[in-house]
Amino acid sequence: MREILILGRGGQGAQTAGNLLARAFFEQGQYVQTFATYGGARRGTPVVSSLRADDKPIRVRSNIELASGLLCFDDSLLDANFLRSANKDSIIVVNTSKPHAAFAGLGDFRIVPVDGKAIARRNDMGKVVNSALLGAFVAMLKQPDFEIMCDVIKETAPAKKSENVASCKDAYDATLKNFGGV
Amino acid sequence: MNKMPNSLQLLSGNHAVSWAARLCKPDVAPLYPITPQTPILEKITEFHAAGAMKTELLTPESEHSAMSACISASLTGARVFTATSSQGLLLMHELLHYAVGARTAIVMFNVNRTPASPWGFWPDQLDSLAQRDTGWIQLYSETPQESLDTVIQSFVLSEKLNLPCMINHDAFYVSHSVEPVDVPDQGLVDGFLPPFAPEHMLDTNVGSSFGAPIDQATWNRSRKEMAAANDLVCDEITKIGREWGALTGRSYEPLEKYRCDDAEVVVVTMGSMCGTAREAIDDLRNQGIQAGLLKVRLFRPLPKQALQDALRGIPCAIVLDRNYSPGTGGILHQELKSVMYGQENAPKIHGLLAGVGGLNVSAENIRDWVKKYQKAKVEPESQWVE
Repeated sequence: MREILILGRGGQGAQTAGNLLARAFFEQGQYVQTFATYGGARRGTPVVSSLRADDKPIRVRSNIELASGLLCFDDSLLDANFLRSANKDSIIVVNTSKPHAAFAGLGDFRIVPVDGKAIARRNDMGKVVNSALLGAFVAMLKQPDFEIMCDVIKETAPAKKSENVASCKDAYDATLKNFGGV
Repeated sequence: MNKMPNSLQLLSGNHAVSWAARLCKPDVAPLYPITPQTPILEKITEFHAAGAMKTELLTPESEHSAMSACISASLTGARVFTATSSQGLLLMHELLHYAVGARTAIVMFNVNRTPASPWGFWPDQLDSLAQRDTGWIQLYSETPQESLDTVIQSFVLSEKLNLPCMINHDAFYVSHSVEPVDVPDQGLVDGFLPPFAPEHMLDTNVGSSFGAPIDQATWNRSRKEMAAANDLVCDEITKIGREWGALTGRSYEPLEKYRCDDAEVVVVTMGSMCGTAREAIDDLRNQGIQAGLLKVRLFRPLPKQALQDALRGIPCAIVLDRNYSPGTGGILHQELKSVMYGQENAPKIHGLLAGVGGLNVSAENIRDWVKKYQKAKVEPESQWVE
């Protein structure tokens, strides 16, 4: 079973990203379970989206304690507490304008910095970063199938469909180029 | 490319409930939003706006008013659905008694959430368990699919027995869990759920009164009639669950026994924790421990005979309560001790306060507790384990 965590602040799109990623795994024939938990029920407070994908129906209904993939929408949330759900093999993609070296102090983790905001801006997506972050995340996870991910984004985006897909592809290509061997 | 059956949709537990409501075509749905129930209301209003639901939606100023509207509508012979959670359910409390006494057939969905204070949004079943003496039928669901299926079955049950029914699922672990759900055809549901045709209803052409002041003996008789109706619930829900199974391949019982044959130790619990417990039971079996799960789906009326039959002869039962009744302990623990009182070959019954306030309960936790408590001396009080 694959277990993934997405952390963001209310309103940033972490819950939506979890749902889109789940839909892509589902579309390629896997059973999925994704749920978001939030303490504040208001914009700006931390939201965690949990995702499980497996070849068989998923029965367990508890928190994910160790994720193989973690996506962080806000570098101010990437701390020791969040990293308790990761180990040195987990892939951690973080939305940040900071360089890779800025995260060295957090310990022995595979942290992949992605400037989601810059990618979103240059694709006419303003501050909406979730398509870009999904592109980067899928590039590093090598799952789900990238074409399916793009189809899901195209199908579900409420507006700017082609810009969303372009942002996703841009981030996917840039991340593969910069961190494909990480 | 998708190998999944075409009838499966990705739905959250709450949206699965909205779909069930849509398929049952209620005449009236008074609704008031509350986290984490709100997505049920939102999806219903979307269906309504799109013309897919012809229901009369009422959005009154509180849950108390919502339940008042439910009662009045049900007594006119309308099919009624509503949904709430936690504080909202607690605000309805006065009218929950009224709804049963008036023998309405309301179907209500409750999302189990911690009651304040302190404020929280976490899965905990105290909100609905605190309503256990009102007389509402209470069912607890493990999955979004079960929530959808149970709403549909509950309309059949409630409208046949004139008893309102409350279906519950846990906040987040079920309410917000998006997963593949089979949404049955409208035609299948239309065939399964007959029209609501109560024997008595408010009718401006007929001079009769509901809820009028009565003498002591009449109040007493109303409770005996309620008791008689309650006696029918367990058999009726078994029949309905099996009929649903014949149509959909998904059969339901008041209790579910998972790997209980030959079990030396049985975990007893309700709601989302059952899924995690199944993983734990399989792991324990792989380690050579003869463990099983007894899932309590119908909590009110308590299926006493079925519980006694399921637990008799099993050496050890471990109850996991995601609730805490101050001064008493875990509510399911108390109920099981009472049901097994005086029974021959009753198990020793441990009560564990597990996941109270929404604390995470992992399969590993359950495995550890089973190993520890199977050998432990029984305490009469429920034990805090986290």
